[in-house]
Amino acid sequence: MPVNPATYGLLLSPDLVRAAARVRRRRERVRGLLVSAGTALVLAGLLAIPLFLLAGLLPWQGLPDDAWRRLGVLAAGSLRAAACAVLVAVPLGVATALFSAHFCAARLRAWLKPALETLEAVPTVVLGLVATATLAPWLKVNVATLLALIVALPALLLALAFAFGGRVRRDGWLPLWLLPLLVAAIAIGSAIAARSGTVAIMPSSPWNAVLVGLALGCAALPLVFSVAEDALFLVPREQTQAAFALGATRWQALTSVLLPAAGSGLLAAALLGVSRCLGETMIVLMASGNTPIAGFDPLTGLRAVSAELALTLPDTAPAGATYISLLLAALALLVLTALLNRLAEAVRERLRRRLGGQPA
Amino acid sequence: MISRRVDAAGTWLLAGSAALSVAAILGLLGMLAIAGIAPFWPTPISELHLRDGRVLLGEVVAADDAAIALRTSETDRVGAAYRRVLKADILSRTQPADAVVAVLADGRRLFGRGEAALPTQAEAPVEVLGLERPNAAGLLARSLGFARALGRFVATAPDAANLSGGVLPALIGTVTLVLLMSIVAMPLGIAAAVYLHQRRGWGARCVRAAVNMLAGVPSIVYGVLGLGLFVHGLGAGIDRWFYAERLPVPTFGSGGLLWAALTLALLTLPVVVVSIEEGLARIPASLREGSLALGATRDETLWYLILPAARPALLTGLVLAIARAAGAVAPLMLVGVVKLAPTLPLDGTFPYLHPSRQFMHLGFEVYDAALASADAIRGVPRAYACAALLVAVVVALNLSAILLRNRLRDRYRALES
Repeated sequence: MPVNPATYGLLLSPDLVRAAARVRRRRERVRGLLVSAGTALVLAGLLAIPLFLLAGLLPWQGLPDDAWRRLGVLAAGSLRAAACAVLVAVPLGVATALFSAHFCAARLRAWLKPALETLEAVPTVVLGLVATATLAPWLKVNVATLLALIVALPALLLALAFAFGGRVRRDGWLPLWLLPLLVAAIAIGSAIAARSGTVAIMPSSPWNAVLVGLALGCAALPLVFSVAEDALFLVPREQTQAAFALGATRWQALTSVLLPAAGSGLLAAALLGVSRCLGETMIVLMASGNTPIAGFDPLTGLRAVSAELALTLPDTAPAGATYISLLLAALALLVLTALLNRLAEAVRERLRRRLGGQPA
Repeated sequence: MISRRVDAAGTWLLAGSAALSVAAILGLLGMLAIAGIAPFWPTPISELHLRDGRVLLGEVVAADDAAIALRTSETDRVGAAYRRVLKADILSRTQPADAVVAVLADGRRLFGRGEAALPTQAEAPVEVLGLERPNAAGLLARSLGFARALGRFVATAPDAANLSGGVLPALIGTVTLVLLMSIVAMPLGIAAAVYLHQRRGWGARCVRAAVNMLAGVPSIVYGVLGLGLFVHGLGAGIDRWFYAERLPVPTFGSGGLLWAALTLALLTLPVVVVSIEEGLARIPASLREGSLALGATRDETLWYLILPAARPALLTGLVLAIARAAGAVAPLMLVGVVKLAPTLPLDGTFPYLHPSRQFMHLGFEVYDAALASADAIRGVPRAYACAALLVAVVVALNLSAILLRNRLRDRYRALES
């Protein structure tokens, strides 16, 4: 290789090589230090949450009885709200995911997923506003309508399916046809209720667990949907196609192949939904009335743990009995949601390992 | 064919559920768009002649079967001139063309037939922002009035009672908070993701466990930490050391922008770390191997090759962080959001950004206007307007980051294929 001996010699000069290596190593060390320091900060910040809550509980001298009773009422409120919300979010979310994964036209699915992600991006305070300002006046006079719709809508769908089910060819687009029908059914139901003039079921408070459940259910719906859909898409297509080849209808393929394979994923979706509902604050704060009432009646108001934290903690003196009981509530919330998430994650991990072996 | 019948029934039931989900989304967005925009459209002024001979002039704000609610001239204070009139008592209801409404700087509205007939402003004279004649206005003039009202809402400060006027301070507070949160969270998130990408030891396992454990923890719990540790702990400490001369009055020892930004940064970190780490892992191995083969160290490969190539993933992390932070209102209620802040956290006096100040936030405005407003008839439309603006801000922040990501992704697509 014809190389100018002068430069060649310089390039190979051991001093220069060593100097360059030193610069490289120093840069490397600085970057490594920065990364470690940043990570340490992240770790410290994240671990600070449980540690701080535990440290706050250290001056523990037992809580007075009424503090325990209050915590019990709050926990009951949170559970009642979460139960109502889960009853909305899980059936709706899982059914939507099943439709999207198994029946849906590909082009409709390309719209359905972003639409639900949009719902996820809507701040929950907005859902709380809609619940308290628009839904509450409707629900106050329409509890009976809501009950009737819960019974009538599936019945209507079944009747339609038996009447026209065989004839509709492209039922991948069915939701769009059903959309105006459902809206019309809801509008007709409210109109009948308004015409009758009397209120069949009067809730004891316009802000009640049913209202919270409707709004909170909408908030948890996208999460349940996306987790359930992910699980369903993990099932290899060959399995359902094999079922079709053996003469199964889509419903039979769903119940005999898809559900047994991805059922645990749907369970994980439900668990994550519960965890989300337990900790959500703004919706319960705005739509529950914040009245500490225990019991199982879904038509009375409630006060949830998260709402109590948001309302009471800023004005509470540190280290008092109230403060400690609130820290205890926060810790319980943290542990419960972390456990539920962990459990759901473990279930999903197992599912992924079982189904992810062969590429879907 | 029973199985076919069952198939159809199942399909229709599931399709009905999907339709219900879509209906919920469309209903929510439609509600927001309509109820958020409607308050700015000029309302006509009605004149009611009653059976007892009285004549009332004002805006109809609500109506049911038996009665209507009317907002008449607010001569002493905002929200103090609502009248409920039974429909049976009304002889006639007209919309006179010469009716004028005067909008005062403190949010009051005065009505009259012609400018001369406007009620005089009793004691303290207040600046008149504008005179409007909604009844005589054509479509163009109404649209102009609508645009003016919308502009006033976005670009001016609220009046003293926070019932009318604009939400500029809340808008600035929201955007400043989100930007400050990103400035804190992104470097830390990148550092932790790089660490997780490089190392496999117990340190990495600890970080991973912490991130996984705290990813789904409710935001209010972060708020509790922000209040207890940042405000009562760090803030009070800073006050004792540096601001002792002011002490009974807290400087950093009460909620403020800095603590709120730190709380939100902590809230978003798990999401940021996970998404960036996934992005780093997706960079093709061939790129890494090529770089190593040319003599670069692992570290140099990471910093000069993989991180730049993973820029779309970094932006995805930022998008997720912004979406989560802009919607989180509950923790802010514990760490310094207020209904009405006297000063902005961002202004023209040195050092321009005041991290210890309390701030206003659009999400909290929604909550406050809907539930704690002194004038419920103004509060709920105002809450809807704030909600629409908040969603617009979230969507705008998201969209800009997504567009940036897509541009970068196009540039790096050649590498990824």
